[in-house]
Amino acid sequence: MQPQASRVSLPSGELSYFAAGEGRPVVYLHPAGGVRWTKVLDELAKSFKLHVPIMPGFDGTAAHASVKSMKALAALVGEFVAKLVGGPSDVIGCSFGGCLAAWLAAERPELVDHLVLECPAGFRPKGYGGRPTDAEELRELLFLHPEKLPPESKPAEQEAANRKMLPHYGCAADTDEELLARIPSIDKLTLILHGTADRMIPKESVQLLKSRLPHAYLVYIWDAAHAIEVDQPERVLAVLKSFLERSEGFMVNWGTLAINQG
Amino acid sequence: MKFSFFHLMPYTHLDLETHEWPFPNRYFDPAKASALYRTYVESMIHAESCGFDWVGCNEHHFSPYGMMANPNLIGGALAYPTKRVKIAIVGNLVPLNNPIRVAEEYAMLDCMTGGRLVAGLMRGIPHEYLAYNIPPGESWERQREAVQLILKAWTEPEPFGWEGKHFQYRQVSIWPKPMQKPHPPLVISASNADSAKFAAEMRATMGMVLLADLPSGKECIRAYQETARANGWEPAPENILVGMHTCIAETDEEARRRLVHGLKYFDQVLMGGLAASQRIVLQKTRYFESDESRDRWKSRLDKRKTLTLDEQIERGTVLCGSPETVVEQIKRIHGELGHGVFNFTVKVGTLPDDVIRRGMELFRDRVLPHVRDL
Repeated sequence: MQPQASRVSLPSGELSYFAAGEGRPVVYLHPAGGVRWTKVLDELAKSFKLHVPIMPGFDGTAAHASVKSMKALAALVGEFVAKLVGGPSDVIGCSFGGCLAAWLAAERPELVDHLVLECPAGFRPKGYGGRPTDAEELRELLFLHPEKLPPESKPAEQEAANRKMLPHYGCAADTDEELLARIPSIDKLTLILHGTADRMIPKESVQLLKSRLPHAYLVYIWDAAHAIEVDQPERVLAVLKSFLERSEGFMVNWGTLAINQG
Repeated sequence: MKFSFFHLMPYTHLDLETHEWPFPNRYFDPAKASALYRTYVESMIHAESCGFDWVGCNEHHFSPYGMMANPNLIGGALAYPTKRVKIAIVGNLVPLNNPIRVAEEYAMLDCMTGGRLVAGLMRGIPHEYLAYNIPPGESWERQREAVQLILKAWTEPEPFGWEGKHFQYRQVSIWPKPMQKPHPPLVISASNADSAKFAAEMRATMGMVLLADLPSGKECIRAYQETARANGWEPAPENILVGMHTCIAETDEEARRRLVHGLKYFDQVLMGGLAASQRIVLQKTRYFESDESRDRWKSRLDKRKTLTLDEQIERGTVLCGSPETVVEQIKRIHGELGHGVFNFTVKVGTLPDDVIRRGMELFRDRVLPHVRDL
């Protein structure tokens, strides 16, 4: 499904975004590498109305002069949701976008329905590694199955430029203490996804998050590194769609184990 | 009348209420659980010397409600320290497990105990299906097929294959086979008419626990007996097991005080997560074969929550009081239901273990002599 590129005018400046599909609204907040239109997004757009804003400064867009922190960025996303959706939306955030989604849920809870945090940044305990220093290391940390990357993936230079925006927004390399203190107040039904081979965000991060969020479920995606949507799109989709469609009922096996139907 | 000493083996060291599912195991302390297991197993062994005919436990998952992911392990722990009492595993959750494994482990226990196994083949309550990722909508089909496969595994004289809807085995030949012939006596849960009919079709003892009231129990028994007759056999009283929470103390006042305290923990802590999971399943699957069955289950849970202990005693769904009072309660319930096995759930929430021990001795000395011949 081809996403439509658009722009919306917000008080601090223009915000570019992609939209695709029809159905209940889902806002997707991209990772530090910028928007990557994965098979997961493609499939989600068959059941939901997807809004994918490009954070200012990413993917060749201009930064907004007054937006210089994660909290301010969350406020901007809140304005985007209020204007585009006009009410609460399910929100998915991936890595950097996961940290941002958590900020949004803390700052503008009235705009968030279900929350999905894919290997979220911002909760890495001290002493559990840091950001990669070169492109090769980054690639190894992101993908267990790089062969699954779609051929039209964006150039490494653009991804590298995008990552330079993290310090601009003060996105913590380890733990965002201010956000962590706010986590227990987030009462949204939350799904946390994490790759079993993720060395960018250690499992201790998601375990910490799970222990602090009042209504959260943690699901590990087997045989996936940090970019779970690239490494295991089918597994991510199976859990994600079930959670968005059935809420807590995603825990119930709705299929069949029968082999011989007779 | 035969009497069964049943242990839920709850985890009793929690001081919070939760309605989360699953129950977070960050609260689990292995050292405390280790002490609990020892106390509980010793209690169960002691039941033999207190005149009980059966001693048993069951299977539950992901919850402090019962710490028996595999009750067959408890059966193994009871096999050699006991000599006479039947080991009643009531039971393995058949639709959740590999039926051949169930057949094998039960056959082991039957041999180890010299033919004292009572084999429960249960369908399980909704939250177990979440725990083991089994489609709740297939629980009935899986139960029916698995029970028949287990019986085959126990009784076929030669290796055989099974090509079913849910289970496929090209060849089955279990070692060991059970000591009791043709197979150990079965117990199948029968707390509604659907399951009572299935128990009768399988010539199993029907097991009813957590009764809403005596009239609904009578209805299940009627369905069971009618189905048994239609299948060419006549159930004996011993084919009807009725179970309920039980507290026996020196006086009525003490028994009530103790049980009220234990029930508070049972209802508020142990049942919390289970109720949440049941809501999730019941709202969205075909776990019950009919709306009527589902509504009855929900209403039974709701009623249990809202009834006082006095009301439960009055309805005949709890045994509680001095030995003399409990004798009268047993006679009354037996008069209504005509069952032949009474299953006592003795560890109700945080009911203290020394109180339970004293109750077992009161049962032996002042209850059993008056009800043995019912």
